[in-house]
Amino acid sequence: MASLARAYGKLLAALICAITVAWVLVLIVVPIGAMLEQSLWWRESGGDITLSIDRLYNEIAVIELDANTATDPAKRAAIESTLEQKRTEIATLEAQETNPPKMYGLANFTRMSSLHLYIFVRTIFYALLVTLLAFIVCYPIAYAVALASGPRKTVILTVALIVPYAINELLRVYAWLMILDYRGVINGLLAWAGFIDLDAREWIPFLENPSAVFLAMIYTYVLFMVFPMVNTLETLDRNQIEAARDLGASTWRIHRRVIIPHAKPGIAVGCIMTFMLSAGSYSVPVIMTRGQGGDWFSQLVYRQFYESNNWNMGSAYAVSLLVVCTAFILIMMRLFGVGLRDIAK
Amino acid sequence: MRGKDVRLDKVMIRFGDATAVQPLDLTIEAGEFFSILGPSGCGKTTILRAISGFIEPTEGRVLIGGEDMVGKGPNQRPTALIFQNLALFPLMSVAENVAFGLEARGVSRADRLKRAQELLDLVALGGYGDKKPSDLSGGQRQRVAIARALAVEPSVLLLDEPLSALDLKLRQHMRTELRAIQRRVGITFIYITHDQGEALAMSDRVAVMSRGRLEQVATADQLYAEPATPFVATFVGEQNVLRGKLMRTIDGIATVETAVGRVEGRLRAEIGAGAEALVMVRPERIALGGNAGNSVPAKLVARHLEGPSINLDCEAAGQHFMVTMPNGPAVRDLPEDLVLSFGRDDALVFAEGALANG
Repeated sequence: MASLARAYGKLLAALICAITVAWVLVLIVVPIGAMLEQSLWWRESGGDITLSIDRLYNEIAVIELDANTATDPAKRAAIESTLEQKRTEIATLEAQETNPPKMYGLANFTRMSSLHLYIFVRTIFYALLVTLLAFIVCYPIAYAVALASGPRKTVILTVALIVPYAINELLRVYAWLMILDYRGVINGLLAWAGFIDLDAREWIPFLENPSAVFLAMIYTYVLFMVFPMVNTLETLDRNQIEAARDLGASTWRIHRRVIIPHAKPGIAVGCIMTFMLSAGSYSVPVIMTRGQGGDWFSQLVYRQFYESNNWNMGSAYAVSLLVVCTAFILIMMRLFGVGLRDIAK
Repeated sequence: MRGKDVRLDKVMIRFGDATAVQPLDLTIEAGEFFSILGPSGCGKTTILRAISGFIEPTEGRVLIGGEDMVGKGPNQRPTALIFQNLALFPLMSVAENVAFGLEARGVSRADRLKRAQELLDLVALGGYGDKKPSDLSGGQRQRVAIARALAVEPSVLLLDEPLSALDLKLRQHMRTELRAIQRRVGITFIYITHDQGEALAMSDRVAVMSRGRLEQVATADQLYAEPATPFVATFVGEQNVLRGKLMRTIDGIATVETAVGRVEGRLRAEIGAGAEALVMVRPERIALGGNAGNSVPAKLVARHLEGPSINLDCEAAGQHFMVTMPNGPAVRDLPEDLVLSFGRDDALVFAEGALANG
């Protein structure tokens, strides 16, 4: 703060600090705090209360029948007071039913059903797989772009990579849907070539397989993997590659010993981004599977919020995903031996 | 380690439309310290890259130890290259750097680290194996690069201006060191530089290049005393250049009519009377007074004291003369009017041609 004030003057420094604080507060602390809070309580809206209310109404109906037939005034007064007592009981129970008391605890996290837990684990595994495949696909691309010699080559590759990203993500996913659908481009071509008969429903069901989701996801997130890697690879001194070659190293050894170690921070950033995006992706699995393939965890979170209308459970699911993703970041940073400082570069 | 000879046989190298190296023949003897000297863009680095295998000549052959290198990549040639920026691997330790070539050849870890230690001892860096290159000084990094190149036991070591990043003192020290290392290991060194001081101080022989052409290949002394072309004459050392017309030639001594009168010198070109000619005289070959064949009356314009020597800035009939004299009592109080004289053997007469400094 003091050094900022010295550099920019008091007014501007105060403004910069205020904007930073507002940013952190509004975009990070408040939403995540709200979600954490939601995930830590629930309302006991069990069927027991409803059941007791129903029972009480039944009892009242019986007692009212008794009251109508009773002739003895003393007995009638006793029945009336019981009725009154039952009615107040109903009122309190009904108040409880419409506005159940908040209960704090970790139950939202422990209550996850085994099926949901399975989907959770599978989603993490799939996201890891997408990350790995995206790395395998993107490394050669990033390498080619970063070390392209002429400026023209760089321009072409950049345009080829960036222009697809000017198109809406949903459209890009739908494009893959059209390609892989039952009567899509690939099946259409196979039918045209005479390998399958579409009218006999002999199509290859690409979309019922998780690999369709993988494919669309890799395509959707290629850029996030490629660009961090290009950035670090561009800073590599090409003489180092030539020196390694001159010293007799094979291409594989040059990559393993010289290029990949240099690109580590970029690879770590790319992997983190791709993993986070694919683990939390909603549109791609929804569009690509259309309910034919297995659900991804993000779809469960969505349903908890908007179909079960259980925001507390939904928040707990979302927080679990957040925790696992954060753990993934830390593990990647540890694994690649890069600090936050390297990533910020 | 045994040195091998390198032969360029009618090598020509073209990039697109631009010809980087005109067809040339060059033989570098085994075990020789050979320099290729020239201004930037003269094609010297291109030649080095063709020898190391990073580029294939457009025409002609490169032979190392009599073997044709066509189709052999840099990793298959008996050469090792030291890059201008050294290109040490920053993420590896010094010892790993030196051992990298052996690692690539599948030598076991223990053996290659032992060999790396021997080489680090050779370049007097025995205790630095565990450090990172960034922890070392410029001169130490230089020696690591040499050790790394020597580790693969090359027959020819190629050096691409490796001293240019060092400061003057260190550069002078490394010259002696490089020469000593070359004597010790006995392999062929091919050294690329634009710095004539480096080339003249270290080399057995020097090739001077200009615009993709070989101007002259000779020992350092020959280059300085008997330059073959106006370019070499002006690129190596200083020259006073007089323009004029060749009058006649008798017994190899040419008479040239210049702005300062008739000047006689040794003819170094195949030209006849009437041709445009250049007369060149080294500043230190000019004396004051005397009658050593040629004498030119001139005016003293300025004195520049260099320390052990002094440069006199003179002018005669619009022609500028530089005279270098040893510093001493004789040059303390000079009159404004001087007579500059130089012998016929000290002046060289060339045909009009390209000079080094435009």
